[in-house]
Amino acid sequence: MNIKLVARMAWRDVRSGEMGLLLVALLVAVGTVTSISLFVDRLQSALLEESSNFLAADRQISSSRAIPEDFIVQAQQRGLNTAQTLVFPSMVFAGDLNQLVSVKAVDETYPLRGELIVGSEPFQRGAPTDAVPAPGTIWLDSRLFPAMNVALGDSLEVGMAELTIAKVLVAEPDRGGSFFDLGPRLLMNLQDVAATEVVQPGSRLSYRLLLSGDETELESLREALPLKPNFSWISVRESSPRIGRALDRAESFLLLGGLLGVLLAGIAVGLSAHRYAQRHFDHVGVLKTLGATPAQILRGFMSLLLLVGAIAIVMGLLAGSLLHIVIVQLLASLIAVELPMPTVRPFLLGGATGLICALAFAMPAFVHLKNVEPMRVIRRDLGVAPLSRWLSYGAAAAGSLLLLVWYTKDLWLTLWTLLSIVSICVIFGALAWALLKGGRVAGMQAKSGWRLALAGLQRRRMENTAQILIFGVAIMLLLVLVLIRTALIDEWRSQVPEDAANHFVMNIAEDEVEGVRALVRDQATEGEFLFPMIRGRVSQVNDSSAKQWQETVGRQGGGPRLTSERSLTWSVLPPENNAIIAGAWWSADSTAAEVSLEQEYAEDFGLQLGDRLEFDVGGRRVWSTVTSIRSLEWESMTPNFYIILSPGALSDFPATYMTSFFLEPSEKVFLNTLLRKYPTITVIEIDALIAQVQKIVAQVSQAVELVLALVLLSGALVLIASIQASRDTRMAEHGLIRALGGTRALIGGSLTAEFLVLGAFAGVVAVFGAELVVAMLQLQVFELQAEAHPWIWLLGPTAGALIITVVGLAGSRSLIDTPPMNVLRGL
Amino acid sequence: MSRTVVSAEGVEKIVQTSAGQLVILDGIDLEINEGESVAIVGASGSGKTTLLGILAGLDTASSGTVKLLDANLTELDEEARALTRGQHVGFVFQSFQLLASLTALENVMLPVELRGDTLAQSQAQELLEKVGLADRLDHYPRQLSGGEQQRVAIARAFASDPTVLFADEPTGNLDTQTGERICQLLFDLNQEFGTTLIMVTHDLQLAARCSRTIAISGGQIVPSEQATASAL
Repeated sequence: MNIKLVARMAWRDVRSGEMGLLLVALLVAVGTVTSISLFVDRLQSALLEESSNFLAADRQISSSRAIPEDFIVQAQQRGLNTAQTLVFPSMVFAGDLNQLVSVKAVDETYPLRGELIVGSEPFQRGAPTDAVPAPGTIWLDSRLFPAMNVALGDSLEVGMAELTIAKVLVAEPDRGGSFFDLGPRLLMNLQDVAATEVVQPGSRLSYRLLLSGDETELESLREALPLKPNFSWISVRESSPRIGRALDRAESFLLLGGLLGVLLAGIAVGLSAHRYAQRHFDHVGVLKTLGATPAQILRGFMSLLLLVGAIAIVMGLLAGSLLHIVIVQLLASLIAVELPMPTVRPFLLGGATGLICALAFAMPAFVHLKNVEPMRVIRRDLGVAPLSRWLSYGAAAAGSLLLLVWYTKDLWLTLWTLLSIVSICVIFGALAWALLKGGRVAGMQAKSGWRLALAGLQRRRMENTAQILIFGVAIMLLLVLVLIRTALIDEWRSQVPEDAANHFVMNIAEDEVEGVRALVRDQATEGEFLFPMIRGRVSQVNDSSAKQWQETVGRQGGGPRLTSERSLTWSVLPPENNAIIAGAWWSADSTAAEVSLEQEYAEDFGLQLGDRLEFDVGGRRVWSTVTSIRSLEWESMTPNFYIILSPGALSDFPATYMTSFFLEPSEKVFLNTLLRKYPTITVIEIDALIAQVQKIVAQVSQAVELVLALVLLSGALVLIASIQASRDTRMAEHGLIRALGGTRALIGGSLTAEFLVLGAFAGVVAVFGAELVVAMLQLQVFELQAEAHPWIWLLGPTAGALIITVVGLAGSRSLIDTPPMNVLRGL
Repeated sequence: MSRTVVSAEGVEKIVQTSAGQLVILDGIDLEINEGESVAIVGASGSGKTTLLGILAGLDTASSGTVKLLDANLTELDEEARALTRGQHVGFVFQSFQLLASLTALENVMLPVELRGDTLAQSQAQELLEKVGLADRLDHYPRQLSGGEQQRVAIARAFASDPTVLFADEPTGNLDTQTGERICQLLFDLNQEFGTTLIMVTHDLQLAARCSRTIAISGGQIVPSEQATASAL
């Protein structure tokens, strides 16, 4: 067939609605993928940018030694921005008052990402600034002003230098993260460090080289620099595992959402192509009698498909772009970060999705048209040999695999999802078949509407089994997305609840505990724990000294040492978020000296259950036996201990205590009251960090909800396509029944019953499938706890029955309303 | 002497059913010459429609030889049979078989377009005028009556200037009066174009207007009285 004829046929098919559903399905596939990937693409860049604020850079090189000049030269040669910081603890003096502070010295280019917030009065909201403290000046945390009894313009002694207080430091981007960056902050200029003379051999120094710029240049620098063991390279994911994990999971989820959207759209495309082909069997038969050869038919319909595909792709790309702009506008007030311009990838993905969907899902049905027998024109009872299953499922599977792997860049996620769907189809195909067979027996005793429906279901058992599976898989995919979304968001929120403790108090002396707690209870929300803290170190393991033990059994090299002094604690009960993975926790009334070790700590130093450890606590020695190994949730915002001893081992030792509390940002001045009354305690503020984590979680959750909505749209399309696909057969049957005297009520009742049964069966399939897929995804991909969801067991079949019935009846209204004569004339 | 247009020799059609083998045609031998009009008659299920399909190259025989002009249809694949149909054969069907998405004019143009010819539109227009539908060119099949649809189908059948015209119960879906008019039109055009007409029909009056009648019963050719009796 020539191209003009093809174009005319395509236009007529579109105009007459024959091609409508296929066009819409393709358009939705392209539009969904384009808008999701455009949004995800831009949001991912934005989130990464936002997260970079935690580092005040894209990458950092950190060391306890000065950063070699060569590193900076190499970075700058690659067009990267650089900044340097140096953090060290120091005592500062103002008159008779002194205080341990955490000094951060920065150069003029700091920070490379995020911003410094400064104010002119302590405990007030500040404003962003591009500047850093000028040489000779310092900026102080609000809390230091009352603690040192100073005001702006006064001087502080830092080492040998006397520096002027110029501003109140309200926030700095890379503040959060370390529990051991203790004390209130003092920000100064790097040029003044030499004058302080505090940098001496043995000082606790943390040098950082901050880097930002082009991602490939950063990676090239990483590969080019020969980092010695005491230099480490830090990216967002490494520096802040909480954010890294949240980002990873969000990315997986968004991709999963896109993946399911593509699958659903693919099913819709396949179904509408199948229907289109079926409605064109006669058409092809006539063309063949008029001399069209199979090759001409194939060429003609393939050109037609490609033409419609091309129209759908162009329209889909436009629709996707518009949709994404609408989404961005809608969420503009919620998305605090500025979205960078999208890359070309989402458009490529959208276009390729359209093409692959057309070829993999629609093509087999179109190819099948060439096999229509011309004899069908005079012998309508001649069926058409069924479409080769290998061709149709093989093409669909290959297309899905190709698209999904490319889309998610994650072979495992794709394989797990596809494998689950295939297993579910096999198992539930057999089940649906059996149920439909059983339905016939039940139907014999039923009233006429039901009898008609069940007879119909049984007669078209093959088609109905397929339809149950399609409905089931569509509902299942939607359930999977809802369940995973709920699990993810719950998980994120539970990690950082709204009222999570955002301040830690350490170094509380035993006689101060009650006083501090009373004050905290009075003015803030007290945290859930109170840990005794005792400094000590391991001195002996079994019969070896700790040093010998590490040399023979434990980890070598520059890592942590077994003999290092650590914070020990004792506890009657295991802390929350700790899971015993070997041995057993001691009984509450145990007086024995027992010790519980963190899993990685035990592995690093080759320690096992039954080993005996001797601790040196301020010169006093105590032996304990390892009776349990614990795993920790390092992401939780609570203190974690490598070593916990039983009360029998440590409770007699003098200890300081650690607790936590939640404080509203507006009530930060309480810290001064607390510190004035108990000057020796240390307060660690993690409120800024928590606020940042919460913000990111909120943003990611929005994106997740949005993807869910888009995929729901694809799901609805599948339902409509599937009902449309079986419409002609139903139309013919019901036309005949009405001609034979069946009332509209009988047809309506029969259709309702048929859809109710199909929907309920599909719901059962969906629930089984969703539980299975969700469990696998949670365990394999999202690393969450797998759990059952009893609430969907009733909801699935009920919702399935209701949705399919409503959509089905809406799509079949003309079946009831069309006069039987019209139906019969069309046969 | 006029040449043979269609011939069948020992044609059998056997299909497998769940109840076993079903013989639909059982050793059919026939020859139809150029310019002849032949009616194939027989009772329902006698195999006459199957025979028409095989003679026209729409279906294949299980055994035997079928020739259409110079082409041995039994040796051709579907691709080659389609080309032969396109070049030499026209069809008129009981249920008209117009393409619903094409107008009357486009339906008539279709066979010529399929052959790649370019004068399609003027030829088609002319034919539609001949069948009395000059004012219905842009109507879609659903906008036409049964008689009008069959007239479009007849115009389409002659559009490719076929050597042989196969007609399957051409008046079967029409009332007597309309059927009569359609029948007249068919024979007139047949005469004008010098086409060989092979027609399956129940209508004995229609059959009587043909130059020859082939009667089928139980898949075999029988004397026409016998077939007529069983058909009635």
